[in-house]
Amino acid sequence: MISALLYLQYHSVRNRLVARFKRLKQPKYLVGGIAGGIYFYFYFYRYLFGMGGRRGGVSFALPPETAALVESIGAIILLVVVFVAWLVPHERAALTFSEAEVAFLFPAPISRRGLIHFKLLRSQARILISIFFMTVISNRFGGKPWIHAVGWWLVFSTLNLHFLGCSFARTMLLDRGISNWQRRVGILGLAGVLAVTVVIWAKRTLPEFDFSHIENLEGMRAYVDQVLAAGPAPYLLYPCRLLVRPYLAPSALSFLLALWPALLLLALHYVWVVRSDVAFEESSVEASSKLAEKMANIRAGNWQAAGKKRKAKRPPFRLRPEGPAAVGLLWKNLISAGQMFTLRLWIQLAALAIVLSIGVRSAPGMSGVMPMVGMMAGMFIVWSLLFGPQILRQDLRQDLPLADILKAYPLRGWQLVLGELLAPAAILTGVQWFLLIITAGFASPAKMFHFDPAIFLGIALGVAIMAPMLNLIQLQIPNAAVLLFPAWFQAAKDSPRGIEATGQRLIFFLGQLLALVAALIPAALAFLVVFFVLKLFLGVGVVIPLASVVAAMVLTGEAIVGLMLLGRLFERFDLSAEGMQG
Amino acid sequence: MFAGAEPAQSDTAPASREAVGVGRRLPEAIMIEAVGLTKLYGDFVAVNELSFIVQPGEVLGLVGPNGAGKTTTLRCLSGIIPPSRGAVRICGCDLARDPIPAKRQLAFFSDEPRLFDYLTVQQHLTFVARIYQVANYEPVGAQLLEELELAGKKDNLPGELSRGMKQKLAIACGLLHAPKVIYFDEPLTGLDPIGIRRMKDSILKRARDGAAIIISSHLLHLVEEICSRILILKNGRKIIDGTMGEITRKFSEQSGDANLEEVFFRATSEPPPPPPPPPPVSAAPVE
Repeated sequence: MISALLYLQYHSVRNRLVARFKRLKQPKYLVGGIAGGIYFYFYFYRYLFGMGGRRGGVSFALPPETAALVESIGAIILLVVVFVAWLVPHERAALTFSEAEVAFLFPAPISRRGLIHFKLLRSQARILISIFFMTVISNRFGGKPWIHAVGWWLVFSTLNLHFLGCSFARTMLLDRGISNWQRRVGILGLAGVLAVTVVIWAKRTLPEFDFSHIENLEGMRAYVDQVLAAGPAPYLLYPCRLLVRPYLAPSALSFLLALWPALLLLALHYVWVVRSDVAFEESSVEASSKLAEKMANIRAGNWQAAGKKRKAKRPPFRLRPEGPAAVGLLWKNLISAGQMFTLRLWIQLAALAIVLSIGVRSAPGMSGVMPMVGMMAGMFIVWSLLFGPQILRQDLRQDLPLADILKAYPLRGWQLVLGELLAPAAILTGVQWFLLIITAGFASPAKMFHFDPAIFLGIALGVAIMAPMLNLIQLQIPNAAVLLFPAWFQAAKDSPRGIEATGQRLIFFLGQLLALVAALIPAALAFLVVFFVLKLFLGVGVVIPLASVVAAMVLTGEAIVGLMLLGRLFERFDLSAEGMQG
Repeated sequence: MFAGAEPAQSDTAPASREAVGVGRRLPEAIMIEAVGLTKLYGDFVAVNELSFIVQPGEVLGLVGPNGAGKTTTLRCLSGIIPPSRGAVRICGCDLARDPIPAKRQLAFFSDEPRLFDYLTVQQHLTFVARIYQVANYEPVGAQLLEELELAGKKDNLPGELSRGMKQKLAIACGLLHAPKVIYFDEPLTGLDPIGIRRMKDSILKRARDGAAIIISSHLLHLVEEICSRILILKNGRKIIDGTMGEITRKFSEQSGDANLEEVFFRATSEPPPPPPPPPPVSAAPVE
């Protein structure tokens, strides 16, 4: 039976890889692959193969006292992970299978143990990929790649088995009438007893803790070393230390010596899991359908819906049947974004920001904090301008799985694209306006930049005027990418992963930056012309918003041209060419 | 009824095209016209030089084996995918050159209901009304929801509806703007027997009211029952196009009377499936 499962796993992975390689025949995916490959090579790979100068192949040997501390820290992290795994989850054991696997494997004459083996086999594929990337990343800081790879494998595989065994144990406890809360109280009690034991031992055995140690890193380390190296703590951490040791081994010999206890621990976990006889099928069926729904949401860009069960949301405003169709799409996408993005909420937030800035200004002792808050808000504005369009996806990226429905609507391409972009543009603008109020209210321009407050307010107003159009332009890049690279976004296929996806994101980000620069150049020229002409007659604080209005008009023209082009792209977008058969 | 009007027949009365007079052609009107419609996927020809017309009141059944190009044809006819060659005219408007007025007359019901997960039933209708500019949509929508037994589910999300109810919601959205041209791709999928009966009645009623309808289905008895004309596709090509009487007569010349199933097998040169083997004869127990 296991051979059939191996066959399934092998061919699934192989076919997925082949499909991805075949896709590279298309230049648009090849470019992403090349860009991602270059990035990974220069940032990681060359260190893996010792071509990146001195770091590759360098011994990972740490001074003995540091190595012991690192091992202890690693062991503590693992212990915390294990503790959380026993404490937090509340579901019954549910091995996660895809819906197809449930349909084919559950009715098949495969034993429960066979299904567990299949699950372990499949998780190994994931673990191996994770190991590759973790090794590539960790090796950037020195060490032998193969030691790191095996070390990571031991940690991931043992944790994987532990989580599984943990879920089986949880189910068995539930079957025996021990509720989740009873279990949690027991685990917390046990953890408390162990922690108290360590504390009591430390108080009795070690010299009194001197808080001056905190000031001195070496002193604090020495104290921690003492606590972890003697008394009950080493026994508590011992299994976790065994698991960490191979990864930290400085040489091949010490690695081999550290390997067999870790392997023994792994084997014990394996026996624990495969000998557990727990009915997981029912929960797995439920989990698989939830997983499928969640994945579909994530691939459709609807992260919010992926996280929790969807609830009906109140519309942001009353939609009348007459009027521009684009407003209908704005209304729809604002509903999708949730009730966080209602006009009322933004007005309330703006009022709160104003009240806060006035209140905090008059509060004693806040003079140091306020400029910091103002500066941070200002930085967030720039950040939201660059990264906001990648995060807010209530647009074509979300609706791509329903592209056939959109195509059937009696709308011009530009109308549809405009409607799709309005919601994220409105949300981003709301966020930026709110941050502008914070910046203007909290920052102290006179102190920080030697600015006249009137000029500072003028700049804030100018940014507020230009922000909507800048957002609309910025959003056009990822949405154009959806139409040019639909296979990266569609729900029915693989989600974007791998090197080519990284390359694609890099390209998009560069494209985003270029678009911003290209859009800003004509607007900046218009701004400067108006600014210098009006400056002859008016004060700078007044001229800046007026020049910004002209710049915003230029940006509007650019946004319109972009929308027309994007609309034409949507009209020519051939779902059948991308295999999107709805 | 799904049609938003009084029923033509009782829910239990059998629906048939003869009973409601479907197929009576109105003079000088062509609602759907496909001319040399061709769709290529790379080198593969999915639809090949397909030409036909559908007049008001006609129900055209589009049948063919898997991969014949039925769904691709419907998607080209509704403007969802562009044809590689040829033209499609809806109520006289060229779908490629003048898509907006053409699409205003259209409704396309795919086999799988396609809905927005985050809009409630009522919000779907409000949204569609705005897209199609249906001024007085509220009473029409309410009536549709009532008839489709969705009135109590107005505030539910699609995720809270059964497969059949989702189908009904898609139908309500599609019928809200009173389309004159309607395409159904496997319209009975997921419906219960009452839903099937109502769907058939609704299709016939829409046809009687003057809509041009194309139904793509593998259910030959459904096609035979409600379609006034049949178009059989194979490998993207039109094999035969005519009324049930015409195509039956054509194939009856070869061997007696033929129903649509027999016509289908003969037209597509597919051998009918062999009869099921007799049950294995077990040896009589020896007494």
